[in-house]
Amino acid sequence: MVALTEMTNWAVDLIDVRKTYAKNIYALRGVNIQVGRGEIFGLLGPNGAGKTTLVKIMMTVVRPTRALGTILGRPLGHRGKLARTGYLPENHRFPGYLTGLQLLDYYAALAKVPSATRRRNARKLLDQLGLSQWGDVRIDKYSKGMMQRLGIAQALMNDPELIVLDEPTDGLDPVGRRDVRQLLLELRREGKTVFLNSHLLSELEMVCDRVAILVEGLVARQGTLSELTEHTVEYRITFSGDARPLKNKLAGLHAAVDGDMVILSGHDAAKVNAVIDLLRGQGILIESVQPHRFSLEDILVEAMGLTVPQPQGRERQRADRAS
Amino acid sequence: MQFWALIVDSFRESRDRKIFWVMLLIEVLVLAAMACVGFSPGKVTILFGMWEVKTDYFTTGFAIRTDRIATIAVQFLMDVVVGWVGVTLALIATAGFFPSLVERGAVDILLAKPLSRAKLFLGKYVGSMVFVLLHAAFFIVFSCVIVGLRWHAWLPGYLWSIPLLVILFSYVYCVSAWAGIRFRSPVVAINISVAAWVFFAGIQATGDMFETFPEWKENRLAYNSVLVARWCVPKTHDITYLAAKWSGAAVSTEMVPQAHVEEKDRPAVERAGRSELERMNINPFYTIGTSLGFEVIVVILAMWRFARSDY
Repeated sequence: MVALTEMTNWAVDLIDVRKTYAKNIYALRGVNIQVGRGEIFGLLGPNGAGKTTLVKIMMTVVRPTRALGTILGRPLGHRGKLARTGYLPENHRFPGYLTGLQLLDYYAALAKVPSATRRRNARKLLDQLGLSQWGDVRIDKYSKGMMQRLGIAQALMNDPELIVLDEPTDGLDPVGRRDVRQLLLELRREGKTVFLNSHLLSELEMVCDRVAILVEGLVARQGTLSELTEHTVEYRITFSGDARPLKNKLAGLHAAVDGDMVILSGHDAAKVNAVIDLLRGQGILIESVQPHRFSLEDILVEAMGLTVPQPQGRERQRADRAS
Repeated sequence: MQFWALIVDSFRESRDRKIFWVMLLIEVLVLAAMACVGFSPGKVTILFGMWEVKTDYFTTGFAIRTDRIATIAVQFLMDVVVGWVGVTLALIATAGFFPSLVERGAVDILLAKPLSRAKLFLGKYVGSMVFVLLHAAFFIVFSCVIVGLRWHAWLPGYLWSIPLLVILFSYVYCVSAWAGIRFRSPVVAINISVAAWVFFAGIQATGDMFETFPEWKENRLAYNSVLVARWCVPKTHDITYLAAKWSGAAVSTEMVPQAHVEEKDRPAVERAGRSELERMNINPFYTIGTSLGFEVIVVILAMWRFARSDY
């Protein structure tokens, strides 16, 4: 029976996870999330959406009000499976009296890693994360970025199947962030599952296979990046001339004039051509035609029920080019 | 492996605190002071022979007299230096262990490891005991050796003070651990545990007064209330009596030269001596057993709170 449950394709299969704090504060209101084995999964949402609470429930730090589902094939809250899980919490605090090596050894011992493996893995990970010279230095001498790297190293000490990282690039400089991204991709290549909670949407876009957007304790969207963005495409046609007389005709084609730009929702090429014909028929000079796919940030803002802020005219075009 | 890692970590944490070294310094100073004094037949030497004081006290019955002085000294050490000062410093040194354990950001990583919260709690708890055990062992073993070499009084029973001191500390530390988990503040933990210690000692002292003045027992309600309270709370002071008894210490009134006691004071001195003798002859199973019962209940309460909380 155990063997069968462990064979599930989902590394994380959360069903109806709820957490209510005292005085009827609903942190999570029935979250369903599935994370496939060997993928990098991103959890995003605004502050107070319940992301960290969900991560803490997965790691048994917080007790759910109600929760079904499995992690690595074992029921949520099962302690044994934690030996195969690595975790880096947000704003972690390490004991300053330990050296880097002592810290890695301590946490790995708690994760039941044999002594010889601990020594080998500690050196390897410190080297991999650029801390090889700092292994024997007390942690209270570390910078914030170094502390973050050490946190990632401790999460990997037990060679976990599932790695849960809460804001892993917090405090890291651009080079450090790139290193972490490469490490995550390397972990995926090794077949490990990464569950990533980050507010840096651009980073999630760069590494995640699938994402879920959590809003007010519920999953608003979930899927691959292309699934989430396939219906969120628009064409932006910039021109020189006066398009105001065409406003009504353009509206008939679901297009709108915005300064010196016409915005056409959807990805219907025939409509794009019709709009171009209409503009040229009026003697307007077409300067550019650009398809525009929504970013993760746009999707998040939309999921939160807010209006996606639109830059105006050429300013908008510059922003698109820059992105 | 997990339990050992927790104990080692607790020791490293305690070693990082300045008070660890302050305690060690006090211990070394007291040991040095003891070593400075030496007894020889007919004289007392101070500062390794720099001064000599000739005395008739050690002319006859040298072995018996140095033994008496040694037992009084170890009784004082156990009661005041190690018992009160040592345990108070140890409480201060370890009061931060549980508040730092449940600190947000630190506890998350520990709880995400494959060990139960009960085991995590007990690992930290036992780790704190190791801190006290090391200090107690250092001080008592060395003081035992100094008393033997410099005072010519060998008191192997004095070594019983090591486990007794750890037990004494644990009676008060359980309250500190509970307060640390409950209030997450070392200062509050120190205050509550010291208040509890004073309360335990107060109950014991009140009980002793009833034994010294039997006429007080006529107030049955007060007497029975004190008896019940005394049975329930840790018998911190009895531990020092047990240590004295097992060290081979004499009753303090025996030290008073009979010629110096006036006739009218003799009944009071004899009564105090009998009372002290009774307290020293207390049943160790009763004393330690009932006190450990209290400790177990408080530890379970603290552990329950730790296990049921969200962090």
